[in-house]
Amino acid sequence: MLQAAPWRRKSYQCLYSTRKTSTFNGMTELSEDVVPESSLQVPGPSEEHIQRFNPIARSKRRRSQLPPSRYQFRPPRYYRGPLHPHQPPPPSSPASRLFVPGPFSLPRLEQTYHSTLAPDLLTLMYTHHPPGTLPGPSGPRLRSWDGSSPYHKNRPLRAPRGSPVLPLLRRPITFKNIPRLEKIHVHSFLKDAGVDMQYLHVAGMVLQAITNARAKVFKAKHSIANFHLRKGNPCAVVEVVMPRIKEYKGVSGRSGDSSGDIGWGFSPEIVGAFPEVEINYDAYPPRMIPGIDIVCCTTATNDKDARLLLSSMGVPFYGKHIN
Amino acid sequence: MTRGHDALRLLARRSKSSTSTTPPLCLTCLSTLHARLTHTQASPLETAPIEPSPSGRAPPALTSTTSPSTRYLLKASILLSRPPLLTRPLTPFEKSHFLYQKRLNERLVLPFTRYFYYQRGTPEEAEWKRKMKERKTPARDIGVYNAYGEEGWNDEVLVGERIGEPEEQVEALLRDAEKEGREGADPEGAVVKREVVERPMPRVTEADRVGDLRSLNRKLERTLYLVVKGGEGLMGEEAGWRFPTALLEKSRQESLHTAAERIIVQTGGVNMNTWVVGNMPIVHNVYNYKHPVVNKQHGFELRGEKVFFMKARILAGQANLTNNKFGYEDFQWLSKEELQNTFSARDWNAVKTILPER
Repeated sequence: MLQAAPWRRKSYQCLYSTRKTSTFNGMTELSEDVVPESSLQVPGPSEEHIQRFNPIARSKRRRSQLPPSRYQFRPPRYYRGPLHPHQPPPPSSPASRLFVPGPFSLPRLEQTYHSTLAPDLLTLMYTHHPPGTLPGPSGPRLRSWDGSSPYHKNRPLRAPRGSPVLPLLRRPITFKNIPRLEKIHVHSFLKDAGVDMQYLHVAGMVLQAITNARAKVFKAKHSIANFHLRKGNPCAVVEVVMPRIKEYKGVSGRSGDSSGDIGWGFSPEIVGAFPEVEINYDAYPPRMIPGIDIVCCTTATNDKDARLLLSSMGVPFYGKHIN
Repeated sequence: MTRGHDALRLLARRSKSSTSTTPPLCLTCLSTLHARLTHTQASPLETAPIEPSPSGRAPPALTSTTSPSTRYLLKASILLSRPPLLTRPLTPFEKSHFLYQKRLNERLVLPFTRYFYYQRGTPEEAEWKRKMKERKTPARDIGVYNAYGEEGWNDEVLVGERIGEPEEQVEALLRDAEKEGREGADPEGAVVKREVVERPMPRVTEADRVGDLRSLNRKLERTLYLVVKGGEGLMGEEAGWRFPTALLEKSRQESLHTAAERIIVQTGGVNMNTWVVGNMPIVHNVYNYKHPVVNKQHGFELRGEKVFFMKARILAGQANLTNNKFGYEDFQWLSKEELQNTFSARDWNAVKTILPER
């Protein structure tokens, strides 16, 4: 193919030789490949144009308005496959039915994490291996069969001793995998909802007020229902709600699922102390305010690291720490 | 000793020899090469874990020895920092993007459930109606904008409008929080401001305006580091501005983190509430003397100094150099850019990679 088109090889050689001989001198060097003109160099609108610009007046000047079908894209209600001519836009497009606006701000906790917490966590968790002394391979995680029975042949390896679950590996912490808060589940189990549906509505409003996300109802057997949410901001919990709790010891050190998720519960009185609920406390029937469970899911792979992350954000822990 | 080690030594010898045409390799490259060699060439049996040398496990010696006759002075340097107290100022793009998303949200969400938050016929409801009439939207910080009206499409901010600016939004929230009411519960009475809301503290403090580099109340959105002047410099040079640095105490077999705590107290006094982050240094630097100092009495050669940087945070208090043990004359709390301008090129290169961006 290349031999059939000798001009191609020739041009390549020519380009290579010019590149090699020339030294870099700013835009003249780049201009071989890059167009020097940039849209950023275009001057902005003139003062007179700014004064004249009025979108409302311009739209009023139109004698007949365009029908919405001419400028508004309506996504299909149902997805009819990749070959259908009417395709839904991506969820990031405001025209999509799945579009969720946001972000609306740069949260203080996120900024603190990046500026203060993450460097400190890296300092605390980093394990240094001097050059030339890399850690050796760890032992096998699954046990093999001893071969005492002929039936051991071709069996899958045995689970670790004591539990059928293989624990997550803790990779060495570097700047790339500092543990961070991934998501927060807020959950409420309502045992009275089977008797009175009012409990369900009140709990839904409480959770929506606290987390700014619509609650989902999970129906269980015998008309028991509970709520799940996946959004939240621990700032208010740590700085407003927890200090108000009388004789509060903190979160139990035994909490956690040994893979980096720490959870705790709040009783109905404490839920009433959330500023979002307290501001219109009268709107909720007092006996119907639910207790909630909060599960902080982190990217840490063990509870020790997750606890360190949460305590750096201000969550107090008490008692013996179980990992 | 594995086959990988042999290859490593061979490479090191080659890179050191002056007759070789290849450029010399640094230690990190060598170790990477070594890891690759052991990974690709050696059989699984031969990749036994490389045990760190027993001297690495021993409690840190006060003078490290590369060979019996070569020694370095060991020093600890303290990176005592005050974390940022405020959020950073937003970029113009972030400001306009957040405002755009807020207005878009107003257009897309369900209407505000007014009667859930304000009971019918209460003064709060009347207040709500009055504010709603003014700003035409439940959101308080997006300016006058009617998301459901005929002109809801006109959600873009014109050139020169300051609706997206945080200062303007604070003003709007304050204006909104101040309640108005009639005097003496009389519908015809004069309008008075009933509730005066406290204004937030300014982001620029007095220390910023005066330029007081010793104050901890300056540059609230940046990390500040303690630097001192005077005392004995590195390698016997004249000391400029640098982090507090001191020798490890030989008599006490001192570890790095106890040394860090001691140096903080001996530099800035006890009137500082500090926390040394972790027991390990975050970076270390080796300074070689031009001419090694030979100690014939004990039979060793002093090659230079090794400085280990320990990270610490100040939580409260302020440094006071009156009784410091190292002869420091002055101190400052500086941000990253100011450190670059203050430090010598050598000191700046030693720490520039470990300082966070803010």
